[in-house]
Amino acid sequence: MLLGELPRVVFVLGKGGVGRSTVATALAMALAKTGQRVLVFQWTLSEAVAPWFGLAPAGIEPTVVAPRVSVANFRLDDALRAFFVEHLGMGMFYRHVVRGRAVRRLVEAAPGIAEMMFLGHVCWLTTLAEKEVGLRFDRVVVDAPATGHGASLLDFPATFASMHASGLVGAEMARVDRMMRDPAWVGTVAVSLPEELAVEETLELVPRVTRSLGRAPLTVLVNRSVVDLVEDESAPGWLPALHGRVPPAVVAALEGVQAELTGRLRLERQLRRQLEGTTQHGVFALEEQLALGIDGSPRRIVEALASAPVLAGAA
Amino acid sequence: MTARLHVLLGAGGVGKTTLAAGYALALAQTPDRRVGLLGIDPSRRLKDALGMALTDADAPVPGARALRAAVLQPAESVRRWAAEACPDPGTRERLFANPFFAALADRLATATDIFAAARVAEWVEHDPALTDLVVDTAPGLNAIEFLTRPERVAAFLEGRLVGWLRWLARHGATGASEGRLRGGARRIFEALVRIGGSRMLLDLADFFSLVEGMFTTLLARVQSTQRWLHDDSTQLLVVTGARHDGAQTATALVQALSDAGLVPRAVILNRALPAGLAEYAATLEATIASDPGSGPVIRYALSYAAIQARALAGVRGLAGRTAIVPDAPGLDGDARLESLARIGETLRLALE
Repeated sequence: MLLGELPRVVFVLGKGGVGRSTVATALAMALAKTGQRVLVFQWTLSEAVAPWFGLAPAGIEPTVVAPRVSVANFRLDDALRAFFVEHLGMGMFYRHVVRGRAVRRLVEAAPGIAEMMFLGHVCWLTTLAEKEVGLRFDRVVVDAPATGHGASLLDFPATFASMHASGLVGAEMARVDRMMRDPAWVGTVAVSLPEELAVEETLELVPRVTRSLGRAPLTVLVNRSVVDLVEDESAPGWLPALHGRVPPAVVAALEGVQAELTGRLRLERQLRRQLEGTTQHGVFALEEQLALGIDGSPRRIVEALASAPVLAGAA
Repeated sequence: MTARLHVLLGAGGVGKTTLAAGYALALAQTPDRRVGLLGIDPSRRLKDALGMALTDADAPVPGARALRAAVLQPAESVRRWAAEACPDPGTRERLFANPFFAALADRLATATDIFAAARVAEWVEHDPALTDLVVDTAPGLNAIEFLTRPERVAAFLEGRLVGWLRWLARHGATGASEGRLRGGARRIFEALVRIGGSRMLLDLADFFSLVEGMFTTLLARVQSTQRWLHDDSTQLLVVTGARHDGAQTATALVQALSDAGLVPRAVILNRALPAGLAEYAATLEATIASDPGSGPVIRYALSYAAIQARALAGVRGLAGRTAIVPDAPGLDGDARLESLARIGETLRLALE
């Protein structure tokens, strides 16, 4: 079974460097091919996806990067303005109290405010944004911060419940809590890489997400997989045949690459065994595009991955 | 401070953690050193490689006499500092039960940067004989928070609102609503009650009054780390890899450092393949034609080499020095510590 129908919001989680943004964008492109309007919502200090498409980095206002695919990036200041001014219609209050020096410093220093505003904004994007500002997205793919932070984001409603908020914040968090609990509203996808550290983190991430959200991730996607590309042999015949035709350093480099790729093969097999039965739909591979001759252009990689069977099957 | 600080910064997945451990080992092998390694990533691989359990408290690395290692665990650091600042068990219990304290200590990874900065200073306070401290940081631009966030927290703690929250903790919401608050403070009180409710506000006020002592120490440590970061002896090392965004992330980090008034000593291109692979592309393509099984490995190597060349061209001139650390596959087996030290030695020599 492939991915099938997805919830309205998909959190793409994973360690830094596993290709989270690439996979999130490829998923959005695959969904857009089925006619849906999709937003990739990131939380990063330097937005990178829009530049892949030759555009300026996106801010909190969605930037269209491809047909029916937009990209936006969370910034606390913008989200606070959207919340107080556009959502609550409290422009005066925002300018005089929230933007006031003392409260601004509290907002910047108090633990958790940014997380709360981030989740609140995701919730708003999938509910009131259409009515309030005319933004309609069928799916929001959240490119969550690297693992530790991404997973703690899912814990946040529970953390927040212990804070006994009432008032505006209390109402907002009750809405976020409803969103996070609803399997038709929120789901998670973990991205992994067949590398030791990434495998280790994935094995910790999956149970953690399951605990926090009360349901397993939809899937684990193993990015840069070589399972169908490389044979599991340490010294293939073509390697020694290169001696004398290229310098020893080049042969050594290719031996190193061969060793690395077969290492990935073993790690991916181990990861699949260890993750068996821990996700809703299973573990799927996204092939290493460099081994297929793509030179590393993120846009071309994203476009190639959007046609991968697992993503193309998502709806 | 006499010890030298080495901070590694870089995007996730470029091999920063391994490089930091290797570099610390290599430094520890030179004469008359006493080296510390502070990680933020409690990975099993690093534990296996170093052959020890990594905890928040630093411990000696077996087989490397001059090296001690620790991994940042904010929950433990915070509890230790809270205990240090609240000797009275009753107050401590009240602090541990405060929901904001629990959030700060347990759940919120955003706070890691501040703890890292404080932990660095704490280490040197407790170990004055230390000659070098190697610090691994959070991935990407988050690492910059390590440098800038403490200032924001300091600005807040020294600000009016905290003083006023402490007042609130002493007098309670009744005191505030009975009109003993005047002017601006009253307006803000009413606004905050409207935003978060009075119970949350009182918890927050209680939190700030209970952690006052802890924050004072924390802040002093953070500020001493910041001074140390600006010291001439400090080495800031930006690590990048052969990735499409290798040059871009390194450039962004160097820019962010420069905004904070800091200059990196070197940009390190990690996991590099030998230069010149592309010159043999024709021979290698011929190999693919005669043995298609070689295709994925050769195509991967050629693509990787092309990406690496672009990344390298993009980072040249970003810092005084560009160091290249070759790819070292096979960090497994019994020789992990030696492999790590070898990687580190390459870097140490490149930086000399």
